[in-house]
Amino acid sequence: MADEQKPAAKEQKRRVIIRTVGMKKQYQMKAQVTHALRGVDVEIYTGEFITVMGPSGSGKSTFFNMIGALDSPSEGRVFIDEVDVAQLSAEELAFLRCRKIGYIFQTYNLIQYMTALENVTTPMAFGGVPTDEARRRGMDLLDLVGLKERWFHRPIEMSGGQQQRVAIARALANQPSVLLCDEPTANLDLRTGQEILDILERLNTQKGVTIIIATHDHRMMNVCDRLMWIRDGQIERIARRDEVHIELGGIEGGKHA
Amino acid sequence: MAVKTIDIREQPILSFGRIVRIALTGVRYRLFRASITVAVIAIAMAFLMNILGESIMKKKVADASRAQIGTLRAADWWLARLSVAQSVEEIVRTLSTLDPASSLVREMSQMTGTRPEEIMAQCRSAAAAARYLQFNESIDYGRRRILMGSAASTAVFDALGTEAEQRTFFSRLAEMKSVRFVTTPEEFTRFLASWPALKEFVTKVRKEQATAVGRIQNALKGRTILDALCEAGAPFTNDIRAAGFVLDDAHAATLLAHALRTERIRTLEDGLNDGEVLRQVAAKKDILPNEVTVEMLWQVLRNKDVAEWYLGNLGKRNVEVHGLTPELAASLAAERNYWRLLSRSERATSESTGGVMGIGTRMTWLALVSVIVCMVGIANAMLMSVTERFREIATLKCLGALDGFIMTVFLIEACILGFVGGVMGTAVGLVLGLVRMLAVFQSLLVHAFPIGALLAAAAISVTCGIILAAVAAVYPSLRAARLAPMEAMRIE
Repeated sequence: MADEQKPAAKEQKRRVIIRTVGMKKQYQMKAQVTHALRGVDVEIYTGEFITVMGPSGSGKSTFFNMIGALDSPSEGRVFIDEVDVAQLSAEELAFLRCRKIGYIFQTYNLIQYMTALENVTTPMAFGGVPTDEARRRGMDLLDLVGLKERWFHRPIEMSGGQQQRVAIARALANQPSVLLCDEPTANLDLRTGQEILDILERLNTQKGVTIIIATHDHRMMNVCDRLMWIRDGQIERIARRDEVHIELGGIEGGKHA
Repeated sequence: MAVKTIDIREQPILSFGRIVRIALTGVRYRLFRASITVAVIAIAMAFLMNILGESIMKKKVADASRAQIGTLRAADWWLARLSVAQSVEEIVRTLSTLDPASSLVREMSQMTGTRPEEIMAQCRSAAAAARYLQFNESIDYGRRRILMGSAASTAVFDALGTEAEQRTFFSRLAEMKSVRFVTTPEEFTRFLASWPALKEFVTKVRKEQATAVGRIQNALKGRTILDALCEAGAPFTNDIRAAGFVLDDAHAATLLAHALRTERIRTLEDGLNDGEVLRQVAAKKDILPNEVTVEMLWQVLRNKDVAEWYLGNLGKRNVEVHGLTPELAASLAAERNYWRLLSRSERATSESTGGVMGIGTRMTWLALVSVIVCMVGIANAMLMSVTERFREIATLKCLGALDGFIMTVFLIEACILGFVGGVMGTAVGLVLGLVRMLAVFQSLLVHAFPIGALLAAAAISVTCGIILAAVAAVYPSLRAARLAPMEAMRIE
């Protein structure tokens, strides 16, 4: 019962945060043209937890680059919070990436020569937050992901799960509205992957951060609000979770905690 | 749910101090790569600093010893003038560079009874003559034969006296494509017209000089000029003046000092001709008497006690010692090293002309090549550094870094490396140059140490290192800044 009410309750406060209109992307490689995306129309709402699935080469990564303002589409438009990304200058794009979107990568991508805290405070420095405040907020964020005691460690001294947690803290540095996660659990074992998922879910429910995840991990499906399948550069199917039947006992229990 | 309203503004720019700190952390993390880049810069800068430093020291030594060498030359020149009249060509050359205030003008005026203004007028045509003489020497023998026949030196001007001869000369000259005459034919013709007057004057000077030299010979009464100069009581300089030469007091003093010094050295060295003295010196050096050289004598004479004993020996045989005291003899012995250094410095510094800052053309090229090689090395190192940090750079851009920030980080990194490498290289190059130059010039360099110029050269070479590194890093850092942020998504 609770499962059906939760999305419905969210629906009322929702507005569109990311909208794509006829988004196409071609890569020109000598004479050969690769169509990575063949027209994607999708609307993603604030506070939504959406999982994107699809086989390799389906255009998933290209889709992520587009909605993360990392690349521009060949045709069509991308609106992030009703702002057409194509209109923005390089500085404004940097501003957008700095504050509106948090990125979490499969390979963590922490800066190797910085400590955990420095990694977390770097985006704040780019955003113009004073050093003292950045340090305080960075410690809060590390506390949030449970790594407060390890703030002085460098990435090389931490496990994969810890690194990914630092990466999450970094992604949250400037309180973004959207968190883009590109296979965040692919390099982690089951238990650590679950920890990361728990953190993401908590962020979604408690802080209302929109989370978009690309994954092969079926556990995600139990957490998310909507599922999206991409195949051959097109959206194959979008479905609410309650419309999809997944048989994965055991993990189900932890979801409502 | 805290949905923030989005207003897009421009990113703030990071403070410079912050960027420097980030760049420094990066350098520290990649210490090995950084140290190789530093080594490349250091080697190039050491080379540059070495060349600069050595040439500066050489120049300073050359300047410092020039006055001494000049005095020596002046004395020799006077001795030559007193013994024989100058040739026509020599007089022409002297006239061509004659200073109106020089005592030579007065001398010629007195000797020939010509007014100084007239002499200066002759000087102008002598200057032209000197140029044509130089042209004569510059072309090869075959061409000279064709142009001037068997005539040489000033005889060429005599051979071109008539208009017909001049026409032949110019037509032959026109046939020689590769020969460039120093002036226009008209000017040469005009000069040739004035040549007889000049020649007449020069011959007159020469004749008067010969007469004066004859008077000197009479006054010498069989002595050598040096002996006469050293004789106390009746100064020979008066005789020189009486003969017609104009010898001012400064030159007279130089001449006397030189004569006295030469005479004293000869006296001391002649002492070795005595068998007993020779044996004693050999005993002091612990070698056979016939192996004793003059050089060894000077070595033992540096000791004042030995000098005193040696002079005592000479005194016993009634040798005229020209006022030599043991102290003087010892200092003469010590000076020998100085004079040897002086002549060495003259030889060593003869090539230090031309090129940038007087370091010589060849050295300028070498320095330039080293700088270029160094630049390629740095550019390579920086490019590698950019390539291996693709993901890091892309991630930083995902986090909101501006292109300018990325570029500044890389440029600052290069500047830090350039500074460290520059300082190290400069220190090494300077020390090597100092050791080498000290070994060559010894006390000459110590007395004329160009500390200011060396510091300036060090500053130049450190700055050069920084600029070099920065210039070499421009392209790599541009590439880094232009990198698309989506590279961060790529899994390698």
